[in-house]
Amino acid sequence: MKTPINRHMNILEFALSSLLRRKARNLSLLGVYTLVVFAIASLIFFVHALKREAALLLKDAPDIVVQKMVAGRHDLIPVGYGKAIGEIRGVSKVTPRLWGYYYDPVIGANYTLLVPDDGRVTPDNIIIGSGVARTQRVNAGDLIAFRTYNRLPLLLTVKDILPSESEIVASDLVVMSAPDFKSMFNMPEGLATDLALTVANPRELSTIAAKVAEMYPDTRPIMKDEILRTYDAIFDWRGGMMVVMLSVAALSFIIVAWDKATGLSAEERREIGILKSIGWETSDVLVLKFWEGAAVSLTAFLSGVALAYVHIFFFSATFFEHALKGWSVLYPQFRLTPAIDAYQLSVLFFLSVMPYTAATILPAWLSATADPDSAMRS
Amino acid sequence: MIELKGVTKGFNAGRPNQFTAVDDVSLTVEAGRLTVLKGPSGSGKTTLLSLTGCMARPTSGRIFLRGVRTLSMTGGEGDVFEVSSLPERFLTEIRRTAFGFIFQHFSLVKGITAIENVMLPAYPTGEGHASFKKRADRLMDMFGITRHADARVDWLSGGELQRVAIARALINNPTAVIADEPTAHLDSRLSREFMEIVGRLRDEGKTVLIASHDPIVYDSPLADTVVEMRDGRVTGTRKKS
Repeated sequence: MKTPINRHMNILEFALSSLLRRKARNLSLLGVYTLVVFAIASLIFFVHALKREAALLLKDAPDIVVQKMVAGRHDLIPVGYGKAIGEIRGVSKVTPRLWGYYYDPVIGANYTLLVPDDGRVTPDNIIIGSGVARTQRVNAGDLIAFRTYNRLPLLLTVKDILPSESEIVASDLVVMSAPDFKSMFNMPEGLATDLALTVANPRELSTIAAKVAEMYPDTRPIMKDEILRTYDAIFDWRGGMMVVMLSVAALSFIIVAWDKATGLSAEERREIGILKSIGWETSDVLVLKFWEGAAVSLTAFLSGVALAYVHIFFFSATFFEHALKGWSVLYPQFRLTPAIDAYQLSVLFFLSVMPYTAATILPAWLSATADPDSAMRS
Repeated sequence: MIELKGVTKGFNAGRPNQFTAVDDVSLTVEAGRLTVLKGPSGSGKTTLLSLTGCMARPTSGRIFLRGVRTLSMTGGEGDVFEVSSLPERFLTEIRRTAFGFIFQHFSLVKGITAIENVMLPAYPTGEGHASFKKRADRLMDMFGITRHADARVDWLSGGELQRVAIARALINNPTAVIADEPTAHLDSRLSREFMEIVGRLRDEGKTVLIASHDPIVYDSPLADTVVEMRDGRVTGTRKKS
């Protein structure tokens, strides 16, 4: 029985056996093509999953953070500010926070120090992130020596190590008690790093922020959305840097692929002539070339995307570690939860599969419109 | 079956290299017979074959096909098509269903197997693969090349290539077979074998039209009509008594 599906199936079969004839050429092309798709898809997966992860983790962040500013720089804020701010209608809770950074000269790494407001860490004890535990090679119960502001050693006992699920943001974290923190940095009493505000109604956030700024003109209120936006911007920026690097590779591939796809060899032109003379229509030749182009580009797209998925979600983006994760020493070791941005993937599909397929069809169309008697005269 | 009336084919019209390959030819190719176009190189044989096989359209004159059935068309009054005025799409369909072509250089697609080459004209017809594969197997068996079915055509000898080309010409079960200088690259023994195959095709009721300047072809007792050509014109016609 004669059906259009049979026609496509038959032509597809011939297209595949036709591709196999130029095995070396097509396999090398497929390899490079897959590599480019793999790199770009890895980037898309990685940035998207990171942003999603960060957003999930930051959902518990304070609604507003109030920082004191001196000469345009972040300064310690008097805890007394919290009393007046707490009286603003809509503010349900004000928590003074203590946090900062500590440079470990032995390891050469920066740690983030944080004092929890729930008093879960008693003096002389700390809870550390997995990255810190790895670089210091310590386990729960071991001692870690810190240096205070006047270079005296401060020995703290590791009470616990944070679970690896939180490693993406907690890899470099050291959670300590307020007295230890203050003695380590010689911090005066009555001052905090910033104030965390809890607001019951999210729609009042900007009004409250405005009131805080009006009440204390030397402060800067930062809303949760702004923190999320900053994270987005950071990951986008890192992604952008990679795109710039990858675009060079992609561009060189495009030039090679364009050259290979568009330049029909004399042999290919002869074949098109033969096909036309034995009863193939121009449209049949175009279907053949479409399937040839689609087979290469679709295989490259699917394998590139599949490899990228494994790379990002099973091997934690091994190849991108240095460029994308952004820590100098404490590379967090984490496994991202699979998150795929369908829109970006569709864009990648259209940018990778369509141009190559079109580039394969166009020159064939020019040859296929030739007179079918060319085979008679070859 | 095929009738040409005052057919002329010119090339490069209006340019300094303008020439007329076929000049006012009127000819009838009878159904179920072997017709040979005889003449030296440049006499217009190949061009006349192209026109007859719907590969090209004449500059002037008319070409009629009788007794041809295609998938989407039926002939007009008396089951006759005037192919010289049909658009390319219909010509392709006629070419695919009514004619099988054997070219001078065989024109097989390199790098694929013999059986794939044989099946090539059937691919775009929309017929199921299994169905035309069976036909291809039968044809290859008929021409004694079954053992070369899965061999790439690049590895076959001249005679084997010729048989693959014949099998390919017959895959869509055409009414007519058109061959252009089919023995040009064969030795005398293979040329005679080719003529034996042609005789079998004719006996099966196929119309066969061959252009050749090989005496093994035009002097063959199998030839029913020999049309002599020179400078694009028919200079004589000899019919078997």
